[in-house]
This record gives sequence, structure tokens and C-alpha cells, in this order.
Amino acid sequence: MTVPTKAMGRRWNSVEAREARLAWMLISPTALITLGLVIFPAIFSVWVSFHDVGLHNLNDVFRAPFVGLDNYRKVFEDFAFKFQGMQSWGAAVTSIVYSFASTILTIIVGLIAALLLNRPFRARGLTRAIFLFPYVAPIVSIAFVWRWILDPRPSGVVNDILMRLNLIDLPQAYLATRGLALVLVIIFEAWRYFPFAMLMILARLQAVDNNMYEAADVDGANTWQKFINITIPELRYVLGAIFLLRLLWTFNKFDDIFLLTGGGFGTKVLPVLTYEFSFRLYDFGRGSATAMILLIIVIIFMGIYVSTVMKGTGK
Amino acid sequence: MDTQNKNIIEHLTDWITWPRIIFALTLTFFLTSILFPFYWMVSSSFKTRAEIAGREPVYIPGALRLDAYKELFDPIHPSYQDFITNILNTIKISIPTALIAVILATFGAYAIARLRFRGKSFMLNGILMVYLFPGVLLIIPLFAMLAQIGERIGFDVQDNLGVLIFTYLAQTLPVALYMLTNYFRTIPDEIEQAGLIDGCSRLEVIWRITLPLAIPALVSVSIYTFMIAWNEFLYALVFLNDHSMFTMPIKINTIFNDPSPRPNVVMAASTIMTIPVVTLFLALERFLEEGLTAGGVKG
Repeated sequence: MTVPTKAMGRRWNSVEAREARLAWMLISPTALITLGLVIFPAIFSVWVSFHDVGLHNLNDVFRAPFVGLDNYRKVFEDFAFKFQGMQSWGAAVTSIVYSFASTILTIIVGLIAALLLNRPFRARGLTRAIFLFPYVAPIVSIAFVWRWILDPRPSGVVNDILMRLNLIDLPQAYLATRGLALVLVIIFEAWRYFPFAMLMILARLQAVDNNMYEAADVDGANTWQKFINITIPELRYVLGAIFLLRLLWTFNKFDDIFLLTGGGFGTKVLPVLTYEFSFRLYDFGRGSATAMILLIIVIIFMGIYVSTVMKGTGK
Repeated sequence: MDTQNKNIIEHLTDWITWPRIIFALTLTFFLTSILFPFYWMVSSSFKTRAEIAGREPVYIPGALRLDAYKELFDPIHPSYQDFITNILNTIKISIPTALIAVILATFGAYAIARLRFRGKSFMLNGILMVYLFPGVLLIIPLFAMLAQIGERIGFDVQDNLGVLIFTYLAQTLPVALYMLTNYFRTIPDEIEQAGLIDGCSRLEVIWRITLPLAIPALVSVSIYTFMIAWNEFLYALVFLNDHSMFTMPIKINTIFNDPSPRPNVVMAASTIMTIPVVTLFLALERFLEEGLTAGGVKG
């Protein structure tokens, strides 16, 4: 028995062991908070989604009755969730369309902005800083400015401009028009988040070897050919990374749509539906079930992405 | 043609080429669509109710009228909003969130970047999982959990700024940890090894060598965590009920949803909320830009 103890003692006092202990000490506050506030709640939320939890039994939540898949059934049968033809998409389909369209548009706008800023011109530094404004400013202010610009009264800027151009006769309620509201929300997302894509693309563009462009010049390639044959292939990995991150974040996003339309007029996405079930109807079980469906869709996306795109790029 | 013989018009037509025209137009389009909303926010905040609800928008306010700001700050205004309380609440939440998150994340990030221990990558991945979870998923169990704990040890879940700071840590710690870990990895290990050889202990090395070198990163990470707390909407919406406890975002939302619409007041409050963030950003842009792509602004 003495040999192991000795070995243990040596290991206990070795530099590596002391470092490991210090490391655990340093990381434990962060780890505990993350465990308590993220990992445990995430697991607990799975539990809640299978139980009948409401405001009435919130104080005694662990004795909430088990209801099996009832909450999920209720969500799938809810008119706000299920697809009922082109007139009423339901939250699941709306979420998917909204996040894919926003992500793609964000990347296109970000790419154009990055190409603009990649060539030298006077006041480029200032322009670059201004381009970051939409991303840095608080979402609440930004959303309400856009609501005020799109205001349904004649004092709304868009109404005024379109009426002056004789394109419309009467003021319109843009964010309260089914279909148009979703399009506007998608454009808003691109307006707000393009700087993220722009910065990542710019960083990559600046690392592209200039010799390639010079070689292409020698071969007589035009700007468009250089863009398609050099720039885009060089940007492939970074575009993939932006796509995945933005898709995830847009899919999970609550604030933007809640503030712009309140989730009405065909813009109800899963996070807003989760909020409504939980904090308007106070049916936490159904809310959790909706959130779990959201998470499952996210995980499926990740899986498809990792197994196709990442595999295809070989990195 | 000889350059000497060109007149000014010819020079100009030479200079104006299609790529240049497209470039100028695109740039103008970008700048207008970015700057106009900000101009509209600030200018609308200086308009009177008559100007804001007229038959057509007033593009340039006749004068800098402070009606909207009076409603926010002047106690004798008939619909006084007591916005100063909301500003203070936001500050009371964002500064502690930023400080606690940066201090705790510095410890954790150092351990991950420099020290070797078992379960490191597992732990890092676990912490970064937060990027994957939607905020709405976590808020239900957090609400139920904190209500339980509050019941046992006697604190209110709702209208408690301390609880809100605690939940904000869940959102800011992973971001801060990720950004600081990346930064610590860029500091050459040799500097620390030299310190260790000179007889400093690990903690002395961290305190005397690593932290001073990391000051730019510490500043930018604290600004990011500050901004996350400053802008946070969903958790504050769920956890705060009492108007005197509202943070700015919730208060602005309440003013906006008031039955009598007063866009000038909403814009005034939004201006107050936006200016510190944009100013901080412009002043420290060089330090901050890198963090933007590392999830500094979450979302």
C-alpha cells in the first residue's frame, strides 16, 4: 500500500499537479456559473417540457404532474405553429424562411460592403467606422427608429416619400401587412448584421495573395473573372463560417422581431412563440416544448452543415 | 492625345469611368441608408408633438425643442417619465456585470490558455455551448429555478437587479472567456517562463506580467460585456415588473406601446441610450473591432 501513496504524494506535489490545481481554482467560478445558469437550466428545460408547469405550481415546480408528450402535441396542433398553406405559414416554417433569407441577404450585403472598403479611397477609416454603426447601436433604439420611419401615419418617412413619388395614394401600414412585414424584417436583419459579415470578409480579403490578381492580369482576366475565380474561392471558408454563425444566431433571435412587429402579420418565429406561451399564457411546459423544437431544428442544421459543407471543404 | 492639350472637361471624362460611378453610387447608398436612421432618431427627439404628428414629416426641425426631453426628465411635466431612474438602473446592472464577468473570465481564460489540466477542452466546449442555446430556451428554467431558490432563502425573483446581474453573467461570461482566452494565447509564453525562472510564483507572473500585457483586451472585453448588459432586452422584460426598476430598453418599449403615441419621446430616450454606446465604440474603435467578430455583440 505504501508504493501507491508515495506515488500519489509525488504526483500531488509535482509542478503539473500544482498547475492543474491552480487551473481548477481559477476556472471553477466560471465553470460553476455556467453549469448553474446554462447547462443545468438547459437540462431542466427538457424536464419542464414533459410536465405541466404553470404560474400556479411554479413555487413547487418539482412536483408538477408528468404529462408525457402532451405539451409537444399542443404545440404541433397550435395554429400559430403549424403550416396551413401559403396564407399562414406557422412559426416553424416562418422561422426557417426568415433565418435563411436573412442570413443569405446579410452575407450578400456584407460582401458588397467589404469589396467597397477593400479598395483605398479618402476617408476610408471613417467610412468603415460608420458602416459598423447598425451593428453596435442598441437593438431597441434601432428597431424603434425603423418603426418610426415606416410609421403608418402620413408623418412616416416612407409613406411621405412614396406619396410624393405618386407610388401610393394613401399611407400604408408596412409592418402590419402580411408578407411585406416578413420581407421588411429580413431586410432589417441584413441592414443590422451586415457589418459582422463585412468585418470577417474584409479580414480574409486582406490576406489574399496579390500575386494571384497580378497573374490573372497578365492572363488578361477582367474584374468579374477575377472576382469569380480568385476572390470567391479564397473566401469560401469564411463565408461558410459566417453562414453558420449568423444562421444560428438569427434562428435563436427574439428581440428583433418582437420589437419590430410583436410577432404579428406573418412574422411569428419560434422564439417569439416560446415567449408568448411562457409569459403571456404562463404555460411554461408548452413554452419549453416550443424551445426544445427550436433547439432540435438548430441541432439538425448543425448536423447537416458539419456533415456536408465542412466535409466537402476537407478542413 | 497629348496630356498637355486636354482641357478640364476631358480630364473629368477620363476620370469618370463606369467602375468609379458604380463605386460612388454604392457607397452613397450605403452611407445614406446607415446614417439616415441615426439622423432621424436624433432629429426627431428635438421635435414637438405637433411636428411629429403633422400631415407630413418635418425633415429638419425648426429649432432644438426640448419637449421630449422634458417629458423624460422634468418632474413638473404632466406625463413625467422619471427616465433618470431607468438610466441609473441600467448603469447599476451593466457596470457590475462587466466587472464580475471580466474578473472571473480572466481567471478562467488564463487557466485555459496557459495551464494544462484534464478536462480542459471538455470544459471550454461546455462553456461555449451557450452560443448554441437560444435565450428563450434558458429563461423558462432560470425563472422557475430562481423562483424556487428565492422562496427558500428569501429574495424576490422579480424586480431584483441582483438576480438580473446574475442571469446576465450567463450571457457575458462565455463571450468574455472566449475572447480573453484567444488574447492570452497571443502573449508569448517565453515572457512568462522568464518570470517563472526568475523565481516568481504563477500568481505573481499573472499579476505582474500577463495582466499588464492584457490591458487592451481587458478594456475591450469589459466594454463588450457592458454593452451586452446595457442593451439586454428579453431577460429584463421577463424579470422586471415595477416601473421604478425598469432598465432603459424596457422603459423605451413601455413608452412606445403607450396608447397615445409619442415618437419624439421614444426617439429622445433612444438617443440617450445610443449615444454612450456609439461614442465609446468610436473612441476605442481600434481595440474593439477585433472583438466584434468574436461575438462581442451577441446576436
